[in-house]
Amino acid sequence: MVNYIVSGLERSGTSMMMQILYLGGMKVAFDEKRKPDEHNPRGYFELEGGKIINRLMKGEFPMEKYEGMVIKITSFGLRYLPRGFRYKIIYMRRDMEEIFASMEKMSGKPLSEEEKIAFVKLNEYALSLLERRRDVDYITVWYNKVLENPRREIERVNDFLGRILDVDSAVKAVDPSLYRSRVEVNE
Amino acid sequence: MADEKEKKYTTVSIPTPLFRKIEERIKGTGFTSVSSYVTYVLREIIAEDEEDEEPFSKDDEERVKERLRALGYLD
Repeated sequence: MVNYIVSGLERSGTSMMMQILYLGGMKVAFDEKRKPDEHNPRGYFELEGGKIINRLMKGEFPMEKYEGMVIKITSFGLRYLPRGFRYKIIYMRRDMEEIFASMEKMSGKPLSEEEKIAFVKLNEYALSLLERRRDVDYITVWYNKVLENPRREIERVNDFLGRILDVDSAVKAVDPSLYRSRVEVNE
Repeated sequence: MADEKEKKYTTVSIPTPLFRKIEERIKGTGFTSVSSYVTYVLREIIAEDEEDEEPFSKDDEERVKERLRALGYLD
């Protein structure tokens, strides 16, 4: 049995990927603790109201309950992924400037340069962790490439998963109108 | 609005041929602009320097945790 995980930094498109997998017919585990809002109008698709990391850190998350299902664990939580399971992980990537703009908008607080560097390091650290762990098989997916060509990227994800998605249905999860944190920089 | 942007960003000059090369290089990647790419690379260089001491330090962890709390991902 495999545990499927959608990961990536917060605001990197993890909720969009969860919705893709949900509409594509996978068993997706989430609860309604955190309601859809202006930052994620289609919902967060999270367990524990997004605070799954707390339980992972304490070693209390019942991973065995979610075998064969998809759960969302953002980058920081990957450090605490329990041993003894087989994982297939879809790791979302996005232009970091857009991630930072979106985080600032959501928390209402600007990020310091030190914080930005810490998140760049966390991203690299999480990717190196996935590379090192033998119980992990992973794929990286860029958020804006999904928006550019949903079918192509979802087909790629489907290949990774072993052709189990209904791609025609899954592409309906992609809504380019929700791509709002574009960073405009003079060039 | 323009003032706000001026405070957040400043201009660094790079040779135009280099700019064009980067423009070509980021085509088909997830980077949406040359500026974003260059900023990312520079931050990576700074992060790598710091990583010589520790890959993801206690200070980094605290910074990330504080932001995750503000975003509602941690208690």
